[in-house]
Amino acid sequence: QQGAPGQLHGRQQPQQQPQQQLQQPQQLHVPPAQSEEPGGHGRLRAYENILQERRPEGLQVSSGLQDLSLRDRGGRRRDFHDLGVNTRQAMVHVQESKTGFSGKMIKLTTNHFRLTSRPQWALYQYHVCYSPDMEARRLRSVLLFQHEETIGKTHAFDGSILFLPKKLDSKVTELFSRTRNGEDVKITVTLTNELPPTSPTCLQFYNIIFRRLLKMLNLQQIGRNYYNPSDPVSIPNHRLMVWLGFTSSILQYEENIMLCADVSHKVLREETVLDTMHSLHSQVGEERFRDTCAKELIGLIVLTKYNNRTYRIDDIDWDNSPKGTFRKSDGSEMTFVEYYKKQYNIEISDWMQPVLISQVKRGRGNIQGSVALIPELCSLTGLTDKMRSDFSMMKDLAIHTRLPPEQRQRELGRLLTYIQKDDNVQKELRNWGLSFDYKSVSFTGRVVQGEKIFQSGTMFDYNPQFADWTKETRGVPLIRAVPMDSWLLIYTRRNYDVANTLLQSLFKVTPSMGIRMSKPNMIEVDDRTESYLRVLQQRVTPDTNIVVCILSSSRKDKYDAIKKYLCTDCPIPSQCVLARTLSKPQTIMTVATKIALQMNCKMGGELWSIEIPLKQVMIVGIDCYHDTVSGRQSIAGFVASLNQPVTRWFSRCVVQSRGQELVDGIKACLQTALRNWSKWNKCLPSRIFVYRDGVGDGQLNTLVNYEVPQFLDCLKSIGTDYSPRLTVIVVKKRVGARFFAEIGGGLRNPPPGTVVDTVVTRPEWYDFFIVSQTVKNGCVAPTHYNVVYDTSQLKPDHVQRLTYKLCHMYYNWSGIIRVPAPCQYAHKLAFLVGQSIHREPNLMLSDRLYYL
Amino acid sequence: MDKNFQEEFMQITKFEPPLYKQRYQFVKDLVEKYKPKKVADLGCADCSLLWMLKFCSCIEVLAGLDICASIMKEKMHTLSPLPVDYLQPSERSLTVTLHHGSVAHKDPCMLGFDLVTCIELIEHLEESELKKFPEVVFGFMAPRIVAISTPNSEFNTLLPGVKLYRHPDHKFEWSQAQFQSWALETARCYDYSVEFTGVGHPPAGMEKIGFCTQIGVFVRKYPQTGESIQSEKPTEAVYKTVFKAVYPSLKDEKYLQNAVIREVIFTAQIIKHRLMSKREEYSNDPERKSKSQPSMDHFSDYLEKLVVEKNMEPFVSGNEVYIPLATIFSFPKVNRLCGTFEKLCKLIDGKVTLSSDGSAVMFNIEHENEEN
Repeated sequence: QQGAPGQLHGRQQPQQQPQQQLQQPQQLHVPPAQSEEPGGHGRLRAYENILQERRPEGLQVSSGLQDLSLRDRGGRRRDFHDLGVNTRQAMVHVQESKTGFSGKMIKLTTNHFRLTSRPQWALYQYHVCYSPDMEARRLRSVLLFQHEETIGKTHAFDGSILFLPKKLDSKVTELFSRTRNGEDVKITVTLTNELPPTSPTCLQFYNIIFRRLLKMLNLQQIGRNYYNPSDPVSIPNHRLMVWLGFTSSILQYEENIMLCADVSHKVLREETVLDTMHSLHSQVGEERFRDTCAKELIGLIVLTKYNNRTYRIDDIDWDNSPKGTFRKSDGSEMTFVEYYKKQYNIEISDWMQPVLISQVKRGRGNIQGSVALIPELCSLTGLTDKMRSDFSMMKDLAIHTRLPPEQRQRELGRLLTYIQKDDNVQKELRNWGLSFDYKSVSFTGRVVQGEKIFQSGTMFDYNPQFADWTKETRGVPLIRAVPMDSWLLIYTRRNYDVANTLLQSLFKVTPSMGIRMSKPNMIEVDDRTESYLRVLQQRVTPDTNIVVCILSSSRKDKYDAIKKYLCTDCPIPSQCVLARTLSKPQTIMTVATKIALQMNCKMGGELWSIEIPLKQVMIVGIDCYHDTVSGRQSIAGFVASLNQPVTRWFSRCVVQSRGQELVDGIKACLQTALRNWSKWNKCLPSRIFVYRDGVGDGQLNTLVNYEVPQFLDCLKSIGTDYSPRLTVIVVKKRVGARFFAEIGGGLRNPPPGTVVDTVVTRPEWYDFFIVSQTVKNGCVAPTHYNVVYDTSQLKPDHVQRLTYKLCHMYYNWSGIIRVPAPCQYAHKLAFLVGQSIHREPNLMLSDRLYYL
Repeated sequence: MDKNFQEEFMQITKFEPPLYKQRYQFVKDLVEKYKPKKVADLGCADCSLLWMLKFCSCIEVLAGLDICASIMKEKMHTLSPLPVDYLQPSERSLTVTLHHGSVAHKDPCMLGFDLVTCIELIEHLEESELKKFPEVVFGFMAPRIVAISTPNSEFNTLLPGVKLYRHPDHKFEWSQAQFQSWALETARCYDYSVEFTGVGHPPAGMEKIGFCTQIGVFVRKYPQTGESIQSEKPTEAVYKTVFKAVYPSLKDEKYLQNAVIREVIFTAQIIKHRLMSKREEYSNDPERKSKSQPSMDHFSDYLEKLVVEKNMEPFVSGNEVYIPLATIFSFPKVNRLCGTFEKLCKLIDGKVTLSSDGSAVMFNIEHENEEN
């Protein structure tokens, strides 16, 4: 749930070494109680800077909303909605219209609700100053609100800026208060701004007010969203609890300000971190205990027993314990045991447990200090990667979280009913002069025509509803089949039979694909990492096409070691298969077919193609992986097409430790990609499309202002006479928008190929949504595309169509996927490097899809 | 009124910890001493005392009353249950209610309390209100204990900048003698005993001045009145409830049932898992079986001991695993939750798949093998 912070690293300052913090446990802080919350003055200033940077010039900056009673969690305040990044204005060809035209019309509804304000509505912004000056924020508000009869009951005040729904009688109002010391204070309230409903400050303001409303409805805030704790779903098999809640954001959309609300599920674990530690201990034993804890726990978000905050576990301090001490704000020292007893009447029962460390970030992502947490007092939230890979757990969860369209809208309707029925909420809205349309917005979208799949000269039709052509292309020769003349098959003695089964099945399925396959070198090894590595060192030759390893368990270290060796020291494509996958006779042929296709791609083969009407075009995909555990690296995967039908891909990746700029590395990648493209095509591409995935909320500005200019620089550096047309598209999978097709009086998922470029898009952007895949359960999620830079001169329709076409080209799935294939390839690459290899793979492999 | 803040502002250099914290600590100590179940704070302002008191495990009912609704609303959400309170419902029950109203009025919602605190309240009362106050608190509410704190005007000379009163909203500030005579008279009238104390010690050598905040602790002399007498005081509800939070508690059948089902299934799953992995180990690699290291594994130790002692062995039959309820019941956590075996059976009835005779939790493992 928590957005990965600092995905671009563009704005981060060098940070303190966490190590330093750990060696001085007495400097740790315990989480403050509400009453001890530090004042917001330092934060205020930092935030003003950010706002000023982000605002277009000439716009009055109205800061300071952060210190309203509804502050964001942890004092962090980011512009999650990328307000004020106006990229469309620079693109002349989409000034008039950014909509496409092809395809069939389809009636859609969405999860957006219009926000309406009474006519001539405005928000009045006042500056409040005190003479003599009053330092403390609370005192400032006490003194000001002695004059509620003048100011009114409805207000939002952060200590210096006051928002009112009504205009005071005069521009400058002078008020007189007296402190309890009998000191007379003159308060001057000066009107600084009359904000129209659409101003960026107003949008922030609406969001804050809306959060106030959710709180009034007694929903619990966890992270950024609000959840209803009164009716949880319990999944005892896995000790999970699911809370239903809502995400909400209010933004200026194409024609209206709308609330985009969606159902959200929070998975909570019914056990403390200490419980988890105990069960890990019994699973892995003493020796691997600490490592396992670090792997399983670091990066997770915990809730504490005594306050309503979330913390991220950044480290575990094994040398500390509840008996350890920390320094309080008044300088005195106290043990954790004493503190929790005194402050919260909580008795810590296990005095031997380690202490969790959470770094507190303030302002612009700088680490300001650490907070120590006691495992026994923390509950885990969310899912670990390990849990995600637990098929039965995910299945049990999906029953509760994958809501089909009708049900999803019904749940959403419940939220709106709460809002409508609650007197206090309605009163608050009325006081501010705001209201909602309680019926969601409807409009028409388009379903573009399905793409034809070509394989070895044959064109295949498939049912576009299913978005899948596995059946249609089964047993058809591939576009380019790479022979397997020399290959290794490595297995343990226990898996001898499985290896033979795989081999025989491969011999059955490969001929029809056109893959020539010789008998492999069958090698038996002990089930130890060193044995696998020794065999690889001894038996892999430069002629080896591919290495197939059958692994008996999903233990990651073996897989990592094999991949690391074969991707860096000895660059040969490899295929690892779990023995279990091959053990079921009824599915073995399907599995063998998939493995054969995958291996062919890894060796540089090509499976199918679609029609790409543009000539001399290079398509680039970029995605990031953030290693939260070891070393805190960030990895950018970069892939670029090499040929006209976009069936071959060049790849590189950038490995950066924390705080470094990913951008510089990406520039170098683009340079080598262009070199390789020109080697393949004997010229340079005249068009370049960059699909950029992995851009976090609030990072668009960085991307537009740092990364895009770097691309342009890079192109300039190729030659003075070289100026290709460049299009940069930001791809976002996690969006709040959901679309539902109104079919036969009910709500269904819209079919693949549904394009939305009106009503729910943003006026300041050249953006659109595409629903490209189908889902069996739940609601399909549209993907958001934001064209942030475009000199292609192509019509929006063509950009949309090209994007949709590219969703058909991911070779690990014979169907349409959620993002353009280059993004998925880049993701796969970054994931492999981030999870297993941890450094840039050997460039010898760079023209093959070895990372599939 | 923001009394805490203003006083802190003044005296932060003088008292450590700040005086308002000392007052709250005084109330907490009082709660520790008398273990009241029902506590009301009159003039609860921004609810910070109530927030501290909600962590006191003896308290089951907390109520706040203030004349100003907006100051209560400002921070009342800090009194809501936390996510973790839902995840791990506590043994005790707790209800927190905030009322908007005046201490000069009687409302039946204030009846039956063990402790009523009036921290820096009375000096904010108008004369007419102060007159009615004893009858409402001591006569009508009649709690076992009343704690009243108020500024000691004799101390004001030591407070720089204080001209008349410490706060502009104060209607009066009493000397020790004034407070004590009021308190003694009130105690006598309503059959309470009273003891005087305070927080904020005077500087050495000036002990005669007394505490900065003077406190009277009143204890009712007559025994618990019980329902009968209270029902003789019919009054209409005049307070307006602005907030109410019922904390999840195992006393509530709904939460207890969830917790028991959770624990039963989880325990059964672990036993099943052990059973299955043992079987797998055995069938895969019979010679390796002896190698498992039991020393670390408290759970299986425990399980084995149980099995030997009581013959409650879980077993596999066909595609089903059976884990006897008796085995599950013997686990401390389950045992503690349910108390009796009958209660366990009653709580999980219809919610957990059991064998036909109802004596064991049953899992089907056919499905599972398919997935792996």
